[in-house]
Amino acid sequence: MDIKQRLKAVLQEAEIYRSQGLISEAQSKYKDAVNIVNSIEKLKNKESLIKAISEKISALKTTKEKVEKGPTTPELSQKAQDLIKNLFAFSESTDQDSAALEGAVALAKFGQFDRALTELNGLLKKEKVRVEAAKNILQCHLASAGADEAINQYQQWYTGDLFHANQLEGVRTFLEEVLAKKGVEANLPSPLETIDPQLEESVVEVQPQVEVEEEFLDITSIGITFDAGPRKGKMVEFDVNFQSGNMLSLIISKQESELIETLEERMELKDVQFFSPIAIFNGAGVVASKTKIKTGPKQGDYCVDIRIVST
Amino acid sequence: MAIFNLKKREIECKVVYYGPGRCGKTTNLEYIFGAYKKQVKGEMVSINTEGDRTLFFDFLPIGLGQIRGCDVRVQLYTVPGQVKYSSTRKLVLRGVDGIVFVADSLEVRREKNMLSLKDLQSNLKEYGKSIFKVPLVMQFNKRDLAEQGIPLMSVEQMQKDLNRQLQVPAFEGSAVKGDGVGVTLKECLKLTLQSLQREFKWAQ
Repeated sequence: MDIKQRLKAVLQEAEIYRSQGLISEAQSKYKDAVNIVNSIEKLKNKESLIKAISEKISALKTTKEKVEKGPTTPELSQKAQDLIKNLFAFSESTDQDSAALEGAVALAKFGQFDRALTELNGLLKKEKVRVEAAKNILQCHLASAGADEAINQYQQWYTGDLFHANQLEGVRTFLEEVLAKKGVEANLPSPLETIDPQLEESVVEVQPQVEVEEEFLDITSIGITFDAGPRKGKMVEFDVNFQSGNMLSLIISKQESELIETLEERMELKDVQFFSPIAIFNGAGVVASKTKIKTGPKQGDYCVDIRIVST
Repeated sequence: MAIFNLKKREIECKVVYYGPGRCGKTTNLEYIFGAYKKQVKGEMVSINTEGDRTLFFDFLPIGLGQIRGCDVRVQLYTVPGQVKYSSTRKLVLRGVDGIVFVADSLEVRREKNMLSLKDLQSNLKEYGKSIFKVPLVMQFNKRDLAEQGIPLMSVEQMQKDLNRQLQVPAFEGSAVKGDGVGVTLKECLKLTLQSLQREFKWAQ
């Protein structure tokens, strides 16, 4: 193919990728086009052509940044929120309060924390769903504002009279476990420490089994953007194979040798996205250990432990 | 999970369009919304972000009318294709009854197709479902771009990459033109209803 025709074809390909929203692919093709232009010695308007293509590359870079930095959980319209409540509340219960709780939890899962909090706070008045509503309120605070907000909320409940002692103890246990997973130590006051031991005994007997919603804050995968190594500047996503508190274990295949070499012990990972079923958190981590698996089906692969240092 | 109302003889099931970012999942739904007005039972809802990319999901309710004495309604969803919306994809996939995997025919998207299919398998597994057992249909989208001289993978190549083990029905498509959209959906609905029949014995 004639070089000018090839240039035309590459530019057309780039333009189609751009129109399809395939930003990286379009950028790559425009760069190919620049190389072709540079290789043609006697080309009229060479400089202006390169300038025009470079502007397109630059515009794509801006678009890419906008896409990458776009809000992960923007506040939606009330209509969209109603739809989420309607479509993603999976309860088979016909009980009105349980269904309302499911709806509020669905909103929280899609990051609609303001409305979720409003609805969950309303459900605190309902005895049957009070504890579950409280636990989800704490999860919303943890996801949207942080641990301090959740602790403050618990303190408020502790000093108030909305909860029975056994209910509040369930909430306290839940919050402490969730905070421990995040690496936060919190000695929350227990309502059971202040009541008559005989009463406590009877309370413990009727205390409902509090189910810790581990799924809610579990990190299912992480995306590491490397600032060194062959994948510098690129985000690589890893599944989390095991989580204990703020320690995440990843299994990396022996075939990914360059990644394994890049992830050295004590290496700081400054740009990490933590994906959980409820939301995505940005933060940082440190490579705590890197161990070669010596036996079993994963023999030769590496187990890399990453400690979350901030979210 | 499909909702079956024995008294009213109604069945409502969920079909999810899955695939890599920008492969044409939303375009499939938009075409269905525009072309199958009789079946469409409400507005199509899209929750998008920057660059018209799906942020959470698209939703389109359709009705198939009476099938073997049962009123069949279907909720069509798309998932966000971008890698970073992994948790949302998983949420949308919950309770799925049938899946259309939309693969991008562009050569440059070969790896993305494979990664997305792997992601689907992994998410289904987390809900205790096997990709080999769930009603699944593939669509090789954007075949029209060959006319513009854009390098596409051959259908054989895509079958080999994505469908060698699964052996599910696969159709060529151009969602933007509407080619293959109807036949893909029809096949997925057929497989989904057959699967639900085995489970619920809903048909008279």
